[in-house]
Amino acid sequence: MRYDLVVGLETHVELNTKTKIFCNCANKFGSEPNTNCCPICLGHPGTLPKLNEKVVNFAIRAGLALNCEVNLISKMDRKNYVYPDLPKAYQISQFYDPICKNGYIELDSGKKIRINHIHMEEDAAKLVYKGGDTYVDYNRGGVPLLEVVTEPDISSSDEAKEYLEKLQMIMRYIGVSDCKMQEGSIKCDVNVSVKPEGSDKLGIRTEIKNMNSITFMAKAIDYERERHIEIIENGGKIMQQTLRYLPETNSTESMRSKEDAQDYRYFRDPDLVDIVLTKEQINEIRNSLPELPGERFKKYVNEFGISENDAVLLVKYKNVSDYFESAIEGLKNVKTVSNFIIGQIFRSLETEAEKEEFKILTAPNQINELAKLIESGKLNMNLAKKALIKMLESGKPVTEFVSESDMKGISREEMKKMCEEAVKANENAVKDYLSGKEKALKALLGSVMKQTRGRGNAQEIEEILKGIIVK
Amino acid sequence: MSDQKRGIIKHIHKLISKKEISCMELTKKYLDEIDKSLLNAYITVCEEDALEQAKKIDEKVGAGEEIDILAGVPMTLKDVISTAGIETTCASKMLMGYKPIYDATAWKTLKDKGAVLLGKTNMDEFAMGSSCENSCIGGSKNPHNTDYVTGGSSGGGAAAVAGNIAAYALGSDTGGSVRQPASFCGIVGLKPTYGSVSRYGLIAYGSGFDQIGVLAQTAEDASIIFDSIAGYDPMDSTSSPKYTPNSYESLSGDIKGLKMGIPKEYYDGVDEEVRKLIEEAMKVYESMGVKIEYFSLPEVKYTLPVYYILVCAEAASNLARFDGVRYGHRTEHYKDVNEMMCKTRSEGFGAEVKRRILLGNYVLSSGYYDAYYKKAQNIRKLITSAFYKAFREYDVLLTPTSPVTAFPMNKNYGSPQEVYLADICTVPVNTVGIPGISVPCGFDSKGLPVGMQILGDRFSESKILNVAHRYEIETQYENNKCVDMGVRL
Amino acid sequence: MISREEVLNIANLSKLYLDESEIEDARKEMDGMINFAKKIDKIDVDFKDLPEFNSISNAFHEDEIKESYPQNKILESVDGGKDGYFYIKKFN
Repeated sequence: MRYDLVVGLETHVELNTKTKIFCNCANKFGSEPNTNCCPICLGHPGTLPKLNEKVVNFAIRAGLALNCEVNLISKMDRKNYVYPDLPKAYQISQFYDPICKNGYIELDSGKKIRINHIHMEEDAAKLVYKGGDTYVDYNRGGVPLLEVVTEPDISSSDEAKEYLEKLQMIMRYIGVSDCKMQEGSIKCDVNVSVKPEGSDKLGIRTEIKNMNSITFMAKAIDYERERHIEIIENGGKIMQQTLRYLPETNSTESMRSKEDAQDYRYFRDPDLVDIVLTKEQINEIRNSLPELPGERFKKYVNEFGISENDAVLLVKYKNVSDYFESAIEGLKNVKTVSNFIIGQIFRSLETEAEKEEFKILTAPNQINELAKLIESGKLNMNLAKKALIKMLESGKPVTEFVSESDMKGISREEMKKMCEEAVKANENAVKDYLSGKEKALKALLGSVMKQTRGRGNAQEIEEILKGIIVK
Repeated sequence: MSDQKRGIIKHIHKLISKKEISCMELTKKYLDEIDKSLLNAYITVCEEDALEQAKKIDEKVGAGEEIDILAGVPMTLKDVISTAGIETTCASKMLMGYKPIYDATAWKTLKDKGAVLLGKTNMDEFAMGSSCENSCIGGSKNPHNTDYVTGGSSGGGAAAVAGNIAAYALGSDTGGSVRQPASFCGIVGLKPTYGSVSRYGLIAYGSGFDQIGVLAQTAEDASIIFDSIAGYDPMDSTSSPKYTPNSYESLSGDIKGLKMGIPKEYYDGVDEEVRKLIEEAMKVYESMGVKIEYFSLPEVKYTLPVYYILVCAEAASNLARFDGVRYGHRTEHYKDVNEMMCKTRSEGFGAEVKRRILLGNYVLSSGYYDAYYKKAQNIRKLITSAFYKAFREYDVLLTPTSPVTAFPMNKNYGSPQEVYLADICTVPVNTVGIPGISVPCGFDSKGLPVGMQILGDRFSESKILNVAHRYEIETQYENNKCVDMGVRL
Repeated sequence: MISREEVLNIANLSKLYLDESEIEDARKEMDGMINFAKKIDKIDVDFKDLPEFNSISNAFHEDEIKESYPQNKILESVDGGKDGYFYIKKFN
């Protein structure tokens, strides 16, 4: 029998606010343990939470960027469970009235993965186990999170990957999170089930918790799919449970649950008040949103004529795309710039992280200057590329590396003269070429190019040379 | 010294600022009396801190500086209010030895004004109870008759003020915990509007019900203290941003023509002696030109179940953090973290606290949430709406504070629900979030004080304090009888 | 009558160990609670437009860092913790 895979994702996005969600302690990764803490985020008796204004703003930004409706009234609830990583023994979250609902992310195929809702909540602390002892660091406790919950619309691990990559990209674009998986600033819980192909009835699902790598998430989904199918084929029943993925063996194992019975006893947090928004406020935020990667991708392909493959690379990181946008100002042919970025510039950056950060010495206006010289015919591509490499190394403008005469260009007459001289001086090469050795022409071309000090256009020179020889 | 408590704050202020007594001397007097006292009112006495603060005040006075009206006035805090560096136990084994690292806003405000903190007073564990007997150090004793309870949960503070071993006290009132002990001990107890006094640093019982309240000799004293501690606090999201208290200024206001509603339902099952004394108070008001009118407020009947469902649910959640990981009691032996937490909690909490945690988690647990918690929340709105309606008709309402006077210590109680019935007159105020004040209005045949309760619309503290104050003046403070113990000035 | 299992489940959620007599008491008390709550069972009104007891909304803190407490201050309540952490020793 054939089966359909049904996957839903709950993604936790850590927000890059300056402070925690309910107090003014720094929201900072990698500090000494328990140094970004105060009585509030430690849940000391008698302390009270106060919601970070920026978290609400970011949640609305995220909601709008993900095509959601923003609720004009939303509330905070308590999710109760006792665990050492949860200082108040409840997590403040939104259960009954989340801030955003009914959105979607569109995949390249045009398929829409619906988003059920987005809610704001606080992160738990970090537990470290050493030799059976438990150590707790509350720095992460109270770090603001958005949880983005999809409908079970995803039907392959590839779709899950694409969804998550797009989500990551959008969150970075709107500036609410750096989405660094290695630092855990984006994590997801994956709900997996299978059903007979075409069936309307959903199968029993399992939930894989805390995936912090897209690759492993895809592997975990594929593994669970096979596991479910095997159980069903053997006449067994899937057990609804929470699982952990083990990358070493590419398999899943049942997690010891935080409580034997998961009963979170959600109720409205009486320490916090309603979040009441106006349509004007929401519109203001909507107008402040940057162009999103999907829109930019379409623009690059349809308006700029950039290939889809290149466009993907350009929009992948906001810094790159922003750089591109600012470097192409006033240019007719923007492909020069995209080629520079994807070619020379990317080659100067070793890791993905460097690409994402895109901290290069050359400013976008310097690239723009370079491209304009090319566009106006003042500088040929060869010289430009050489200059670019030096620019990237030094941060100095193009004028430092090309001389006045380089930029003057070279006339056809001058080139013709040089070609004639070259033909005279290399009779052997001419003979070789005429006897069919194509390579011989390259040698001639090289010597002419050298004479032009790179200013000549190779194609043009080749054309002239051929003309002279054939005559 | 007169036989009546006619207010002590202005008196002390005068003594200190005119250098008729040094703050040091006065503080020592109080500390001595606390030391001798048999009321079991204090859990912690802060001798050193108190004397240090007193010294500072004396220096100020010596330097000719003007001092705040509360500067140098020796007072106490219920042991549920967080005091940095000073043990704050909630009268629970769970928090024995716990020294907070921050100050509650209300305390910080008073400290900055120069208040002298004598110590932390006794209470029912985590403010759960109406007798003060659910305390890990045992109950406080009623100064009017030490065989009787003080009421609770702010029993220690009420005993301290009534027994003259503190000029005033801050308590907390979740369902009557300031007003009921005030009424049992013959003093004034004010529960302010929800959102008027910051809850920051008040260790939570029922977060949507808790308010810090004032225990004082007279309405005038209560007014001075209230004006000092009320107002917006950015640390408390539920704190009202628009409120500027100025109740003291309105104490001179005439109450002629005021409409006073008497909600009949409050008088069902009330002790005859109590009822008669309150009816006499009505006559006093009538003689002052107040219009008295009986009316029906049937929604009050729903309050007890609504209150207990919601408050237990919130308590279960609020008290879940006491798990031995970060502060407070931690059990000696355990095999894993879960057992550590369970043993810690089972050892640390007393029976009443455990009972309310269990009930709270029960009403919140899946399958019951809609039937109990959600329903109760909705009916809370219904009750609120009924009270708002009543206040469109009446300026204030007059009710008993408690259906009975103080009961003997170590009494055998019936079922928890029977015990909760005693709170019938006080819980509606917290359920609706309005202010209420208990004012002494006489004594029963056993010589125990009786309190009447004046209720007002939200943020009408000025009005109810004035109504209480006018009564005290009219009756020449004859019901604020002074007990012969403690510091007599 | 509420079952023993239900009481044990609630005790587990509450992180409390109950002895036999406490379990029995809790059963009775929860039953009492049900009866107590029955008073409000039959009330059926449209609650939508009724007022909340506290009408405050939109209380926020600004996203500006304030200094956190020093690590040693925070760990005071657990006798200094261990290596900067809160610490729960394992027992066997």
